[in-house]
Amino acid sequence: MSMPKGYKSKFGYATVSDDKACLGYREIAEVMSDSGDKMNHSTARNVFLRAMEKIARPVCNVYGGDNPKEIAQDPRFQECVQEVVSGIF
Amino acid sequence: MDLSTYFKEVGRHKLLTREQEVELSQLIEKGDRVARDRMINSNLRLAISIAKKYQRAGCSLEDLIQESSMGLIKAVDRFDWRKGFKFSTYACWWIKQSVRRHVASHATSIKLPTHARGLLWKMSVLKEEYEEEFGVEPTQEELADLLGVRKATLAAIIKSSRHTISLDAKVGGRNDSDGRNLADVIPDESDSIDEQLDRNQLVSVIRSALQGLSSREEKVIRLRFGLGENDTDHEGFGITEKQINKLEARTNEHA
Repeated sequence: MSMPKGYKSKFGYATVSDDKACLGYREIAEVMSDSGDKMNHSTARNVFLRAMEKIARPVCNVYGGDNPKEIAQDPRFQECVQEVVSGIF
Repeated sequence: MDLSTYFKEVGRHKLLTREQEVELSQLIEKGDRVARDRMINSNLRLAISIAKKYQRAGCSLEDLIQESSMGLIKAVDRFDWRKGFKFSTYACWWIKQSVRRHVASHATSIKLPTHARGLLWKMSVLKEEYEEEFGVEPTQEELADLLGVRKATLAAIIKSSRHTISLDAKVGGRNDSDGRNLADVIPDESDSIDEQLDRNQLVSVIRSALQGLSSREEKVIRLRFGLGENDTDHEGFGITEKQINKLEARTNEHA
């Protein structure tokens, strides 16, 4: 799904280039495919964003916010979840 | 007795000539207490002048003078006039040793062993000589080489010798009760209670949301965020040998 011409993300894009242990969507797709769950990079991204959305929904209920989908894509939210999740997993 | 009165008192005793020193030493050997007192009193000026040199080491001058006087007494008791040296030459070492030992155990709240303190003295002397000769400050490696110790040892000793400051110390050198102390002006960078509560709530919300994730989503999140169950166990994620090599190559590229 390409972005409309001239579209500029408000808070940049979520990347994993800083952390060597983190994987990009293509790499995730490869790992998942190798382990039997065949998928391409777009599916990996969609699965990831859907999981983010599932997390964003209750957060929106508690803290306010009417668009969990948008919040799920926000790199700041993803960073925050990463921080919290690394303490839990 | 305050210091200035003490200095005046000490100044009343005249310095001894070499002949007088020998004469008094002979009497001290025979157990003459008066001769011993005179020998000590006449050399107190030497003890004070040495004590003054260590004033910057972080101890009070009164304590230093007391310690140097103890060193002087030790020197008087052990001086051997037969060797032909002046008393001051001999006493100087005992006084310095006594003062240095006191400084080593009292100057900072971190107690360093005497050999470490000795090494610091040697280092400061060496540093000055090096600067005089070459016009630049020596590096820690050069100093370690010159002193014949490992760089890590020297670094550890230097680190331990740093002066500590009390959080209750007044800011700006004021000693009155109105002035603020260091603890008042150093900001607390930890989260406030509100922030901590907020954070705890967020964690519990996210934690409960994670229960609703499918195993596939959890796996993808783990991979995306680099949260392996075990860094050395690749079987959990079913990564093939080829994939491991690829990831390693990527890691090496970044390094």
